[in-house]
Amino acid sequence: MTRSPVLEISDLRTYFYSRAKQAFIRSVDGVSLSIARGETLGVVGESGSGKSVTALSVLGLIGGSPGVITGAVEFAGGNGALAGGNGRRNLLQDLARHVTVTERDGRIVAVAKDEPGWRAQVERSMTGVRGKEIAMIFQNPKSSLNPFLTVGRQISEAIRLHTPVKGPREAKERAIAWLERVHMDSPRLRFDQYPDGLSGGMCQRAMIAMALASEPSLLIADEPTTGLDATIQSRIVALLAELKSELGVTTLLITHDIRVVSRLADTVAVMYGGTVMEHGPARDVLAPSVEPKHPYTSALLASLPSAQKKDGPHAIDGRLSVIRGEVVDTMDVPRGCRFYARCDRVTDAIRARCMSQEPALAAVTTGHRIRCYLHGDEPRDGARAG
Amino acid sequence: MATSRATGRALARRLLEVSDLRKHYHARAGLFASLHGQTRSVPAVDGVSFALTEHETLGLVGESGCGKTTIGRIILGVTRATSGRVVFDGHDITALPMRALRPLRKQMQMIFQDLDAALNPRMRVRDILREAITLHERLDRAEVTRRTAELLDQVNLQAGKLASFPHELSGGEKRRVGIARVLAVGARFIVADEPTSALDVSIQAQIVNLLRDLQSRLGLSYLFISHDLEVVELVSHRVAVMYLGKIVEIGPADRVARAARHPYTAILWSSLVEKRSQEVSRTAGNGAAAWGVFDFERPGQGCRFAPRCPVYEAAGRPAVCTDPASEPPLRDLGDGHRVACHFPLAR
Repeated sequence: MTRSPVLEISDLRTYFYSRAKQAFIRSVDGVSLSIARGETLGVVGESGSGKSVTALSVLGLIGGSPGVITGAVEFAGGNGALAGGNGRRNLLQDLARHVTVTERDGRIVAVAKDEPGWRAQVERSMTGVRGKEIAMIFQNPKSSLNPFLTVGRQISEAIRLHTPVKGPREAKERAIAWLERVHMDSPRLRFDQYPDGLSGGMCQRAMIAMALASEPSLLIADEPTTGLDATIQSRIVALLAELKSELGVTTLLITHDIRVVSRLADTVAVMYGGTVMEHGPARDVLAPSVEPKHPYTSALLASLPSAQKKDGPHAIDGRLSVIRGEVVDTMDVPRGCRFYARCDRVTDAIRARCMSQEPALAAVTTGHRIRCYLHGDEPRDGARAG
Repeated sequence: MATSRATGRALARRLLEVSDLRKHYHARAGLFASLHGQTRSVPAVDGVSFALTEHETLGLVGESGCGKTTIGRIILGVTRATSGRVVFDGHDITALPMRALRPLRKQMQMIFQDLDAALNPRMRVRDILREAITLHERLDRAEVTRRTAELLDQVNLQAGKLASFPHELSGGEKRRVGIARVLAVGARFIVADEPTSALDVSIQAQIVNLLRDLQSRLGLSYLFISHDLEVVELVSHRVAVMYLGKIVEIGPADRVARAARHPYTAILWSSLVEKRSQEVSRTAGNGAAAWGVFDFERPGQGCRFAPRCPVYEAAGRPAVCTDPASEPPLRDLGDGHRVACHFPLAR
């Protein structure tokens, strides 16, 4: 893996402030990930694990109060048109100038933010990136399309805005070709239809066509199959797999559906409570029988209905194997390991450390990292943990 | 063990019987058409019959729009059927007036899909439960407190959550409150409409286990409506597969899931495998063309699945499949496994 990363996220933190609780919600709390060109990185995690907020932070779509982002997001566009010399740009550059963060004990305790300055800086960083270099597919295709414009108009608009094709007629032909590419039946007919005339699956195909039409360097797919019927889901997954192998689009795939990730991703990051617990090749991370694994990953895989073989190791009486307790509260993150309270593999040898200090994301083999004292010794170092 | 359970159920008392249920919705026609008295009617449920015994879970699967939820709503009397009968515990509830329905209604309850819409955001958990407990009978304060504690224990909810508002609860806790509320009124039969689809997998497993425990402890019966085939297969004793308002296959869960005889059932379950495994060839996915578009309005004549059916195509489009006079009826294949297809798949 010597390919240069298209996207490199380092120590990203995105916090929100809850006025009611007078506390910070640490949605993303020190995430570092990178995606090589042509690779599909799958980010899995339960709701509240920070996977979507990570994507929104990359695209500068975090608003609200204070919506702090620290860390770095290095992005290398495809055509070198980006400022920053070598075609790389830190999408979070200079944002720090618009916030004052007070830390105590390595934890952010207060934030003052100059909202207009911040906004303006975000828009400057995103010019030519959002929508063009980084395209996004959202979970709810129906509400992501503009209901007042025909599907074709929306796609050709993207083409005229983001590619050298400027003529309306040419853009229309290009849009129809994309609709064909995503296996939309009767693409010429669909071109003139409004989103409400299309089924959920067709809307998602249109969304994918629109995202790809701007020929992005990076595609972010946030829950692309959630909410669709089982049969349609498998069609969309098959389509994404096909596009991946034929177009080689670099993709950040975010989903809670482990089945989708195992079908599409080359590498997988498992997120929990705002941080990455395990990161490695999909075949190692997601195969239930392959060790080592983070206890959270094991438990997650075991709780899938498909893991419940009649006499499988996790089935007791045909009951589902569960992860006890509830998802960690990102407003009140424990000092030690985030998963400690739900972990069933804590040993007496490591218990004290599990409770007091968060483990680092340590390499167990090349390219496979696990945040657990069972597999690594070091605690997380505050500034630049894995 | 499975067989002894099956025969045990055969002896169990029949709790619910649905026969030839139909619900037609009127699609809004254009202005001129309606002036001429023409309306298009869309059959959401088009002649559905099944029975449910005590202690049994019947899974109901199908794509969105196939009529699953409508059936649940008709059984509970929320939606009136166009025709057909629903017999609950010996009473034909489609014929009963509202007043007579009331004592039966508390035994039949629904768990809703949308957790945030199902719980009143301005009531604390304590009040939500108290309202349900005192809905059908008058109880003094001590008795309400005792019942509340009992319910919390049944659904494994901490007593500390009683003072919380729904928005302060996690998804799993909200789901537990919803279940407790249903138990509070004394439900015996529960229509669970997508009870786990909004939940994360770890929480989903907790809720599935809870529903199972309650079934064995309280002898509940469930109509488990879901499009999550894996969960349905896991929790159901029997599974019914619906397509465009009709049951196309019904039978023991493992038979329907692993030895499906209707092409549609086979496609539904294979889509699961397809999604899971990386090895599956892409050609399978590109059957999308043959798979075609889901159409709510009755497609063609005869078998309603024919326009999308791979078997129909492979067999050279036999005339019997599109013969208006011969829509395939549910035929018994033994062991309570029934399928509505002229050319059922080989075992």
